[in-house]
Amino acid sequence: MEPTVLVFLVLYYVVVVAIGVWAARKGASNSLEGFLLGGRKVGPLVTALTLQATAMSGFMFLGAGSEGYRMGYWALWYAAGDIGGGVVNLSVIGRRMRRLSKILGSLSSIEYLEHRYPSPATRLVAGTLTIFFLFFYVLAQFIAGGKGMALVTGMPYWLALLIAVGIIMLYTFLGGYFAVAYTDLFQSLVMLVGILWIFGACLVHLGGFSAANEAIQRIDPTYLSVWGKGLVKQDHWGEISGAVLIFSIGYMGWPHVVTRQMAMTHPATARTAAVYSTLWNLCFVSAPYLVGIFAIVILPDLDDAELSILRVADTLLPPAITGLVVAAIMAAIMSTADSILLQTGTIASRDLYQRFLEPNATDRQMVWVSRLLVIAIAVVGYLVALFRPPGVFSVVIFTTSVLGSAFLPCYVCAVWWKRANTPGAIASMLGGALTAFVWQVAGVDVATALHPMLVGVLASSALMVVVSLLTQRVAPLPERVLAAVEAARSIH
Amino acid sequence: MFGLPLTTTLLVFGFPLAWVIYTAVFFYRSRSWPRDETDAD
Repeated sequence: MEPTVLVFLVLYYVVVVAIGVWAARKGASNSLEGFLLGGRKVGPLVTALTLQATAMSGFMFLGAGSEGYRMGYWALWYAAGDIGGGVVNLSVIGRRMRRLSKILGSLSSIEYLEHRYPSPATRLVAGTLTIFFLFFYVLAQFIAGGKGMALVTGMPYWLALLIAVGIIMLYTFLGGYFAVAYTDLFQSLVMLVGILWIFGACLVHLGGFSAANEAIQRIDPTYLSVWGKGLVKQDHWGEISGAVLIFSIGYMGWPHVVTRQMAMTHPATARTAAVYSTLWNLCFVSAPYLVGIFAIVILPDLDDAELSILRVADTLLPPAITGLVVAAIMAAIMSTADSILLQTGTIASRDLYQRFLEPNATDRQMVWVSRLLVIAIAVVGYLVALFRPPGVFSVVIFTTSVLGSAFLPCYVCAVWWKRANTPGAIASMLGGALTAFVWQVAGVDVATALHPMLVGVLASSALMVVVSLLTQRVAPLPERVLAAVEAARSIH
Repeated sequence: MFGLPLTTTLLVFGFPLAWVIYTAVFFYRSRSWPRDETDAD
């Protein structure tokens, strides 16, 4: 292992932990609102970059590169939607969700759903679905971290994994949402510098963008097509639309991401945050896919496509800069994993433990219960990650498809449709999750060429509308909820 | 352009351009948001 790579990694970890300690002091972590939402004092820049850093996981450095390497420019369909994910999220639900969550006194994205769609069943269904699927999402991050660090440092996989998980736990444990948000800010910048550096190195090595594409064409011209290598995705519009939707409107259904709206300083923070979000995405999102595509020329005989970006960095960059790229990869992984750990800890403690087991728990007790649960989830995740489940790309696409399908109509209709009621929300969550899950697990997506995200969102949206309309008389929303929704909608 | 087929060029550059326009329109249309803030916010 190159000492300079180690120096960069250690430096990166030290800075991340230092920010976590600073944020722990600033974030008043003894109050539950301080621990879970940073006291709702998060400005536009931090909101935008924590949203983006959370949404862009280790998937971007392992999964995106892998898809580019295997399929060529077809992979850019995912990036095409992803660039607009932040602005769609913030412009559609950002301001109204911030205002409604404050009016309803909601401190977690699952509690918000129960307050908006009043019923213990809402929280039970939403909490259980979220914990189950976020666990797999965080598992993918652990695997990505372990693989990446093991490759670059030469450490055994178990040790690399242990270090990555330990650091994530440490600063999530220290400062709650504030630590997560401010370390995300730093990590988003590290991710940006890391990927742009390697992207630039690829262009220099290949003689520019046009020369790179000409070299790819000489290997196989179908890599340059929007239909994928061998044109295997030709006219698969159901799959293509799902690829665009999953990371554009899909964000609005991810409980660990929409929490960012609830923590904003003001509802109008969403406006400026949307601009920062788009700027960051324009610079970042396409680059990992393109580096994966360039790797077709630079390293044509890779045995593990998920390591394409790391291998390209190792080939083209001096050790010091490779260290920066590795830090960027760890930043992408850790910025997502810490948010998920905090979110699952919150849901398990506040939305399930306090709600159903110990209603009289104090704020301070809840903070500690949440912290203990973060440790438990991380330990179980670490142990499962040792068995190396499927590739990062497939796990992330599977998890985000199910989460987006389950929750997207619930979060959107919460602020845009007054007639959306509790039976509609529960039917939408269960129906959407089940449809996307079965569609993928049973292989129907391959047989029909329809992306599970597309089918899942259509199912959950239809269920929300039909069931809500059919049950308006038997399950009307309470007047206080209607008044709160009206107040949140009254802003223009 | 850049050695890419036209459809691929549109995918690589057209979508980002569309999102830039979306963001600009959103930013302009939401210019009154800061004035609409209430004490409750």
